[in-house]
Amino acid sequence: MAENAERSEVTLYKPSPKSIEREKQAMEEEPKEDLSSLLLPNLNDLPQNPPTAVEFNFSRYFLPDFTKPGHDQYIYRHANGLCVIGLAEAHVALKEEGGVTAVDFNVGKSDRSELKVTGKRKRNAQHFESNSALCKVCTNGNFYIVRCCVKGSLLEVNDRLIKQPGLLNSSADREGYVAIIMPKQGDWLKIKDSLLSYEDYVKLRGLL
Amino acid sequence: MEWQSALGSAKLCLPPCHVIRDLLSTGVCVRCIFRLSGIRDRDCYISSINESELISFLEEQNEIEYNSTTSTSCCVCLGVLCPSCVVPEKPGADLRETSSVNELALLISDVVKGEQYRIDEFSLEVSLPPVITANERALRLYLKQKYEKEQWFKDSFLCDHMSVKDTLKLVLNASLEKYLAVQNVETLSSSFRIRLTYSHSETSQMLQSMLPNGRDSKKRERGSKENGSSKNCNESDASAFRVLELIEDQNFCTQFQVPPGKVDKPCQLVVACYRTPTYIGGRYLKYSRNVSQSRWIIDDERMGETSVEEIIGENVRQICQGDGYKFHSAGREDIDVRMLGSGRPFLVEVPNSRIMPSSTEIKQISDKINHTDKKLVGVKNLKFVGAEAWDLMREGEAEKQKQYAALVWISRPLEDDDVCNLTSLKDMDISQKTPIRVLHRRSPLERSKVIHWMKIEKVEGTTQYFLLHLCTQAGTYIKEFVHGDLGRTHPSIGSILGCRAEILQLDVTDVKMDYFN
Repeated sequence: MAENAERSEVTLYKPSPKSIEREKQAMEEEPKEDLSSLLLPNLNDLPQNPPTAVEFNFSRYFLPDFTKPGHDQYIYRHANGLCVIGLAEAHVALKEEGGVTAVDFNVGKSDRSELKVTGKRKRNAQHFESNSALCKVCTNGNFYIVRCCVKGSLLEVNDRLIKQPGLLNSSADREGYVAIIMPKQGDWLKIKDSLLSYEDYVKLRGLL
Repeated sequence: MEWQSALGSAKLCLPPCHVIRDLLSTGVCVRCIFRLSGIRDRDCYISSINESELISFLEEQNEIEYNSTTSTSCCVCLGVLCPSCVVPEKPGADLRETSSVNELALLISDVVKGEQYRIDEFSLEVSLPPVITANERALRLYLKQKYEKEQWFKDSFLCDHMSVKDTLKLVLNASLEKYLAVQNVETLSSSFRIRLTYSHSETSQMLQSMLPNGRDSKKRERGSKENGSSKNCNESDASAFRVLELIEDQNFCTQFQVPPGKVDKPCQLVVACYRTPTYIGGRYLKYSRNVSQSRWIIDDERMGETSVEEIIGENVRQICQGDGYKFHSAGREDIDVRMLGSGRPFLVEVPNSRIMPSSTEIKQISDKINHTDKKLVGVKNLKFVGAEAWDLMREGEAEKQKQYAALVWISRPLEDDDVCNLTSLKDMDISQKTPIRVLHRRSPLERSKVIHWMKIEKVEGTTQYFLLHLCTQAGTYIKEFVHGDLGRTHPSIGSILGCRAEILQLDVTDVKMDYFN
């Protein structure tokens, strides 16, 4: 699938040769009227648990203990180079009693949620280093800094986290993502080899 | 000698003999004399009357004597109407001089036949150097200065007459029609055009240097460096016409030679022919999940097996015998999304097609595409369309509705309540942030879209898979509507059903558009 693939694999699930053959036959007979039979999938092709949109479209990388112990973060890298940053499963903030209670993007020199990036060229995006702070995640009594992990332009922060910090507790791996960063090819290659794959991260943290 | 009878009645237009003698010795050709006198009768121009014949005709009428002049090109039309011109037979080859209408017409028809155009009509485009306009003006001023006080002279003289262009077309069209065996179409409304570009470097350069406009001389310098590209010529021609229009008679006489000077060589002529773009339109279907819509190459590697553009474009181009193809369509779908049902409207633009395809030939294109071994792409309703089809296709693109069928998986079994829920939502507004998969090349915006209706088709043997049929506003990202794009599209199927939703397959089942049906 898309794991560790750098080329864009936009294709959705591929049907088996048998169903391709069946489709061909249907088309040869009555291409116009057999729309409904063309649309129906072959049961044998349907997996019990199909890959998720994230697994399919991104390569998942992990950074355990980023700048501090227990600060596990992920980078989902799309084939187009964009990186989605977030808290990995075993991040300490997610283990606390009561979980995450608030998220504040006003860290460092500016409020990250105030940025307005416009246009195809993303001209007025702010450039950050890999250890620049993205936001502060608060729990009952503690707070943790979430960082960029890769040097690049900040395109977007997930401002839904401001009103719904609980997203980090329920789905830190999807709707609870923190930000989207656009690194230059060179900056990505610099850090790539130091990152863990999903399988290695799971082994390291003893998950599943 | 038919011209004698024609000229007999047109004789009244001509100025007195001493004026004609003056004109002839100044270097004006017979056809220009007729033209400037206001004669419009075709018969006077069709046959070639040379100077001595005209003189003897006039001598018969009026007993004048005349000594013929040297052979130079007309000082007004520079040989265009004689017709004599110098033509490069092939680019870079020797120049050939023509001296009769027939010869010129034959030359032109050879060019047309050489390119193997199949035509049933043609239009003639003529481009003349601005110095000819200046020559006419100079002649008029000369005659006015000299003969103003004479009785026959009217101020209207020399003002209401056929232009060199129109006279050339008058003279040439009949012969061209004969050699090409097709009709001429007066205004430029035929798709097949024959372009005659005349130039006269000797006098044009003189004109440029005489004109007071400083800009022109700069352009000329630049132009000479580029070896006089045609664009530069057009620009300097246009500005020369402008300046000539603005300059007053008094100034004109000081700058320009009055009457116009004699000219040794005739104009150079370049004959070119072309056809305006041919448009073939229809609807296409894409049966493969590995064929992109347009040619897609990253780092020298092609994405997908082939493209809709190449399959359709190349087949159309081949039959039309054109120079290339441009593919336009009403929207597009991803490489892994099939286009089924009604098909998507498209237009192929073929520049300079050597033939205009007949309906049989169009059927040939259709059959060729639809009956290949690999059934990757199909076409419907293929037909010849006009240039307005382009605008029709673009018109109201944002309002068009599209219909899809998506194979959806959810993280829990589908309930009847879910089906009711989704089916009851009509014209639902959704908000989509630019999907991450295109965010690298599109503006980060939040777009509001409408989901018009949804229908669920259960898949027998499964509880977590179903076919989602939906009709949405043009521009809606369907994949993101299903899986939610990390919450950046809301509502999404997942958020409405309160579980995780994934999309496995997508097909476009209808593109609603009024034409190409």
